[in-house]
Amino acid sequence: MNVPIRMLGIATTIFWIILVGFIASAAYSMKDLNFGVGEPQFTATSNQDLTLTLPLYIDNRGYYSLKSFNLITVFSDDEGIEISRASTFMAAIPQGENVTILHNVTLCIDSVAERANQYLFKDVNLTCAVTAGLNFAEIVPTQLATNVTFPWGAPFYNFKLGQPKLEAADLTHLAVTVPLSFENHAAFDLAGNIRTKLFDGHDTLLGESQTSINTSKYSSYNGNLEFSIPLTPAVSSTNLSGHFDVYFSTPMFEYGPMVIPYG
Amino acid sequence: MVEEKKKSPNKARDWAFKVAKATLKATLIYLLYFVLSPYIAMLSTLASGFTETIEVFVAVTIVLMILSDLTAKTIYQCFLNAGRAIFTIAYLVFALGDGVLSIALDNFSLTVNLTSLYAIVALLSLLGLAKAMLQAINFMSERAESGLKP
Repeated sequence: MNVPIRMLGIATTIFWIILVGFIASAAYSMKDLNFGVGEPQFTATSNQDLTLTLPLYIDNRGYYSLKSFNLITVFSDDEGIEISRASTFMAAIPQGENVTILHNVTLCIDSVAERANQYLFKDVNLTCAVTAGLNFAEIVPTQLATNVTFPWGAPFYNFKLGQPKLEAADLTHLAVTVPLSFENHAAFDLAGNIRTKLFDGHDTLLGESQTSINTSKYSSYNGNLEFSIPLTPAVSSTNLSGHFDVYFSTPMFEYGPMVIPYG
Repeated sequence: MVEEKKKSPNKARDWAFKVAKATLKATLIYLLYFVLSPYIAMLSTLASGFTETIEVFVAVTIVLMILSDLTAKTIYQCFLNAGRAIFTIAYLVFALGDGVLSIALDNFSLTVNLTSLYAIVALLSLLGLAKAMLQAINFMSERAESGLKP
């Protein structure tokens, strides 16, 4: 019986040495793993989507390959309503390789605007729940979860229509000029049309104006809306009052009417 | 008389060998711990108290190993070996629970699933326990065959 016991002892010792060696090399490998996150890129697509591309750099200089890399991001608003969910999966990151993974998050701006129009006019903070998981050294599944605050810049931040200025155009019409200004705080360029209807105090449509906008990201817009309205005794009075109905139309979203009183 | 005189240097040599073996094994284990300690300290920044727990484990394992080597060829060695195996399993159960290690830090949480490693270590410890039990049975049967008291 001495021989089997001795063999059992030798086998156990060998397995312990292999296990300790594996744990030591896996722990040592961790210091040679480098993770990096690049600058996010925003791209507006033709089908009313905004794509956020986040580059992830993984340099695996350790002794083991990383398996089943999975990144999940869930964007939700301040009320906890889910806006967008995206996941990126990579089957294996081989040992000794430097890999760049592009994580794409698609935000449907049209549905965002439908649900909460403050996204178009107010800067808000979105919550992004990030979960990253991978299988380290084949047998150690590891997961990292965090919540990140993601600032959402409104494309029509501080949208203002000024007081209408009346000028006689001819004997029958008045030219009305309305200053228009906003700041594009969004991470994408804004191009589209703003259509505005001018109503008097009795909800009578006086005129309509349309202007094209082309504003780069993080820049402001200042322009004028021009109306031509028929000259009537009510209109010619100095204290003109009523409201504007504003309609926004861009390749990414449609929104309106937004009612802005004047006078 | 002559036989007793012959046995004395053998006994001393046996003890010297046991002490040397125990010292060598303990030194090797401690060196391994010393090499791994920076990484253990690194993990300790994530999970407070991790270093202390490992230190206790290493200390108890080394003490049991030294005692086991010093009591070689006695029934006490079998008890100490079995004790060491049981201690390893008990340590694993208390330290890791279900094998999933969750560490909550400032604004993120890290979850490491050590179930596979946990299972391997537990199986190796059970193998050690089985070996200790076989050693004890063998020791008792040899003693019974030779008519000596255990």
